[in-house]
Amino acid sequence: MADAQSLKQLVLGRKDVQDLSDNEAELPPELMTVNMGPSHPAMHGTVRIVLTVDGEKIVKSDIQPGYLHRCFEKESEHATYTQVFPYTDRLNYVSPMINNVGWAMAVEKLMDLTGKLPKRAEYIRVIVSEMSRITDHATCIGASAMELGAFTPFLYLLKAREWLYELLEKVSGARLTHSYARVGGVSKDLPLDFDADLTRCLDRIDGVVVDVEKMLLSNKIFYDRVVGIGAMSKEDAIKTGCVGPIARSCGVDYDVRRDFPYSVYPELEFDVPLGTTGDCYDRYLVRLEELRQSARILRQCLKQIPDGEIMSDDHRVALPPKKDTYNTIESMIRHFKHIMDGVRVPAGEGYAFVEGGNGELGFFIVSDGTGRPYKAYCRSPSFVHLSTAGQLIHDHYIADVVPIFGMINMIGGECDK
Amino acid sequence: MSETVTLTIDGQPVTVAKGTNVLEAAKLLGIDISAFCYHPGLPIVAQCRQCLVSVEKNPKLQPSCQQVVAEGMVVHTTDHQSTLARQQQLEFTLVNHPIDCPICDKAGECTLQKLYFDHDNANSRVDTPKVHKAKVVDVGPHIVLDQERCILCSRCIRTCDHTSGQHQLEFAHRGDHEILTTAPGEQLDNPYSLNTVDVCPVGALTAKDFRFTMRAWELEATPSVCNGCATGCNIEIHHRNERAWRLVPRHNPDVNHYWMCDEGRFTYHELREERLGGPVVDGLPASWDRAIAVAGKRLSMYQAHGDQIGIVLSATCSNEDNFALASFAKAIGAGHVYIAGKPPVPARADGRLRVADVNPNTAGVKAICEALGITAEPTYQLDRFLPQTLRALIVLGHITPGLDQTKLAEVEVIALGTHERGPLANAKVALPIAAWAETAGTITNNKGHVQRMHAAFPPPGTAIAGWEAIVRLAQAAGHKLAWTHAREAFAAMTQAVPAWKDLVWQREVRPLALRFAGSRG
Repeated sequence: MADAQSLKQLVLGRKDVQDLSDNEAELPPELMTVNMGPSHPAMHGTVRIVLTVDGEKIVKSDIQPGYLHRCFEKESEHATYTQVFPYTDRLNYVSPMINNVGWAMAVEKLMDLTGKLPKRAEYIRVIVSEMSRITDHATCIGASAMELGAFTPFLYLLKAREWLYELLEKVSGARLTHSYARVGGVSKDLPLDFDADLTRCLDRIDGVVVDVEKMLLSNKIFYDRVVGIGAMSKEDAIKTGCVGPIARSCGVDYDVRRDFPYSVYPELEFDVPLGTTGDCYDRYLVRLEELRQSARILRQCLKQIPDGEIMSDDHRVALPPKKDTYNTIESMIRHFKHIMDGVRVPAGEGYAFVEGGNGELGFFIVSDGTGRPYKAYCRSPSFVHLSTAGQLIHDHYIADVVPIFGMINMIGGECDK
Repeated sequence: MSETVTLTIDGQPVTVAKGTNVLEAAKLLGIDISAFCYHPGLPIVAQCRQCLVSVEKNPKLQPSCQQVVAEGMVVHTTDHQSTLARQQQLEFTLVNHPIDCPICDKAGECTLQKLYFDHDNANSRVDTPKVHKAKVVDVGPHIVLDQERCILCSRCIRTCDHTSGQHQLEFAHRGDHEILTTAPGEQLDNPYSLNTVDVCPVGALTAKDFRFTMRAWELEATPSVCNGCATGCNIEIHHRNERAWRLVPRHNPDVNHYWMCDEGRFTYHELREERLGGPVVDGLPASWDRAIAVAGKRLSMYQAHGDQIGIVLSATCSNEDNFALASFAKAIGAGHVYIAGKPPVPARADGRLRVADVNPNTAGVKAICEALGITAEPTYQLDRFLPQTLRALIVLGHITPGLDQTKLAEVEVIALGTHERGPLANAKVALPIAAWAETAGTITNNKGHVQRMHAAFPPPGTAIAGWEAIVRLAQAAGHKLAWTHAREAFAAMTQAVPAWKDLVWQREVRPLALRFAGSRG
């Protein structure tokens, strides 16, 4: 018997609870340090959190991003303005189209092209941006729900996302890294039957949103895991520079599309949903509503989009038609200069910002008059939001880190730049 | 009478020296007036009509290259008239220009491309066929002419007249059939012929040496000095993939103006021929540590009798390398010091850039020897001491004229050089050092200018800078030379040589990517 007991101790490394004295039965009072990430199955993105826990409760956290740092800003200094588009694809890689558009707008601002693009190009940009917003929010909601154990909404939403990705692939030629926008417009026109495809897609997505809503909205398990978790006050949200769905869930009534309207957003009708409590549940609700609003914008766009050019006719940015390139020296030179030297941007500096999947996504460019940026800076919402994470998870349990991080929707590519 | 003139260009006042032309004055203000035929180093002909500007109180547009500034002159370069003139002139120039950019060597550094993109950028309005001319005309040993691409600016004609004094190029025929061609009975074979390729604003004249080898916009430029002769023409090394692809002259009004000779341009080829990539000890490859240890040990056998050690400095190596070796020679009390170098080529001297002395650093080595109180003799004096009096030799450089290789085999030769030639081929210890394009250093030209060279790319194999190899050698032989950077060797040298005491080490420059540097024209 005694042998069996010691064997048990040897194997388990501890005594049975009933064998412990009262003192020993209590949990150790010291704080413990736990690593979460950088590669954690229940974590959004690649980020390391060093948690100091008192039992299960977080008393201190050290959040260390940077694992996906690719020197976006430095690399941009060595590429022509057009060659930067593929780099922007890799910022927020769940909604690359919006990044494309943001970069293009910043360059256009420096070239004094803002508002001078053909209407069709602007509409196409809005269409692909809103499609990207749906993929972004769908991923965020789906992945967050999955991390809390609800696997079905994840599959539903990712299926919906895949429909849009397929459509975007038809538009741009690439499923994820579109590199679709160009300075002065977009690289190619919408494919044949795009209207019908997108309408059908939106109808199906509407159904998915209803399904997901049914599955999550009054789901006791989901509800209990997110309500009151990671709440932030309106003041804190403003103070920390939060934007996008996160700020709106806290009641900050700010949407770049409405407050600093760009492109053809003034011609479109949409509502900006607001939350009240600023907790994870509100963030989920705001994103869910934005899915519907994006679909609403898309349907309007399909009705209103005019025929016409997809590229500005300004020779400073527009590539000549291939026929001219091959047959006239003038167009040949222009084509050559655009490709080899890059779009020549007048010296100066400018900042342009768009409503990205996660909020205000801005690009600041300093130009020295050559074909590449002298300096580029990206105001990435994820980076700002991540800086609030430490405050949000404070005093919560380890398990709450998962929904809080899920709903902050930190995208490594964008955060680390 | 005042020596300066103040005028207004586009509303900005500028004060320039009397006699300056409007184009240069505008350049000072950062205003780029387009021009093809104007070159600051050539006589002005004002024949491309590309630089027309309006001058107030003058009813007609004036070519700004030829228009000399006058007090109170008011010039406009952006008014409708001159802008239109520029655009129309470009359109006119492009009428018969072939669609060659994708196959043209000048593409990416073409003045025509640059000016069209900056000043016109409009679509073609011409629907008549282009006039065709000869495409591959062999005009000389180094140059191919494409008459179609030529825009008839005459820069090349003036360059030949000006740099070599030989009239070898001319225009023939008239109107849109006018062509550039060689002068009757002439070939474009003067020793400065490749300057025409540099000044050509389009790809009409291309160098056979560079043609179709590398795209101009993919190159990077590092400033350096030509090591072809004692003139020390300032150059840019255009390099990529750790090798040089061409050398082009860099403007220096004190030395070479805008020009250099053809022979100098080809010196980069030698950087890739028969290079010694790693140390060799007794005919077998060795590590640096072993080679230095062996050399140090063998040297120490003779150190008690310093006069048994001979030192050969080299006029083909940098000041730093020679100063390091000369300092080492002083430290071991070497009895005999010699200066090696290529024998002079009197036929080269033409009173222009080319001189008889084909060593880049003769003046530098002499100055160093003088400053350190070393009496140095030419290498052909060395033979008579071999192999009895001198038992060991430290040789810098692979060029040692007058040295009998069989006699060398009998003494302990420690050779430092770039190429596996001359004394390095049979040396007991051969140490590879970086060539002029691969290391930071200075050389002194025949006028006494100490000129800085920058490292464009790394040396082959495990080669290191010459001064560094000498420092390691000295340390192995028990002497204190402790420089860790060429800058320190340079500082010690400027302290030792009185004439150079005010010189400062120029900071390392980063290579300039030609792609974003705009046209070189």
